[in-house]
Amino acid sequence: MNWKIWSLKKSPWVFHVNTGACNNCDIEIVNLLTPKFDVERFGIKLVGSPRHADALLVTGVVTRQAAPRLKEVYRQTPKPCVVFAMGACACDTGIFNAGYHVVGPVDKIIKEVDPNAIIAYVPGCPPKPEAMISGVVKALSAL
Amino acid sequence: MNQKELENRLSQIKDKLISIEQLPHDRIYLLCESENSYPVNKFVFDDIGARFCIVTGVDSDDCFEILYHYSYDQTGCVITIKAFIRDRENPAIESIAPFLPGAEWIEREIHDILGIDFKNHPNLKRLILADDWPDGVYPLRKEVKK
Repeated sequence: MNWKIWSLKKSPWVFHVNTGACNNCDIEIVNLLTPKFDVERFGIKLVGSPRHADALLVTGVVTRQAAPRLKEVYRQTPKPCVVFAMGACACDTGIFNAGYHVVGPVDKIIKEVDPNAIIAYVPGCPPKPEAMISGVVKALSAL
Repeated sequence: MNQKELENRLSQIKDKLISIEQLPHDRIYLLCESENSYPVNKFVFDDIGARFCIVTGVDSDDCFEILYHYSYDQTGCVITIKAFIRDRENPAIESIAPFLPGAEWIEREIHDILGIDFKNHPNLKRLILADDWPDGVYPLRKEVKK
């Protein structure tokens, strides 16, 4: 195994990007950090800058205004990095599919920057915190 | 004042209205043309003292409707002023923001997505659409297809 991947899996620091979510997924992500689920015991830590992050936690459908910002955040994240598309909207636009402001799901926008990006999908509206932890574990063990 | 007195008070402004509709006992619609919306709003807000809730914009088939919602909290009655804008080419209506600053942002929003020109608005610039959205395209109008 590549030493970079090994060190990333040990303690993934994540940066949370809201690209137009309704805040429901974001509330569940905050729930992950509270003592009930406490993902810091796995070394998963929320950081304030994409330059410190190993993974991006993207919630919400990508709007026209947010798409260039999401691309910029992805460019600034050190590689290798994993992109987690959290929730139905981030995975496949969900109920906002026909909205005038929608550009596309998260994977489409990220692949415009990097076609080989590692993208993990956690569907649900919102996904349960348990599902999010399970998604992160599955994604990291697949690397 | 109670509900009966409120209804009598509202009928004072009847000459500026098309009609007054009352559906359930606590929901009153005042229908008017767009030219009369400013004095009707001023009457409901200043003279009656109803609380301003929100404005709604609707693209009807042949006209635009601007609905101003007020709540009269003493009786729990919701008063809605429905103003019709018949001109679909250059829809315009008098802004109520000069005497009601709380309406400033919702009028900017309606201007963004329905393209209605609020006259005498203090700051009618883009609020919710993306920075690169083309000018003159109003996404919630019926003729716009995704």
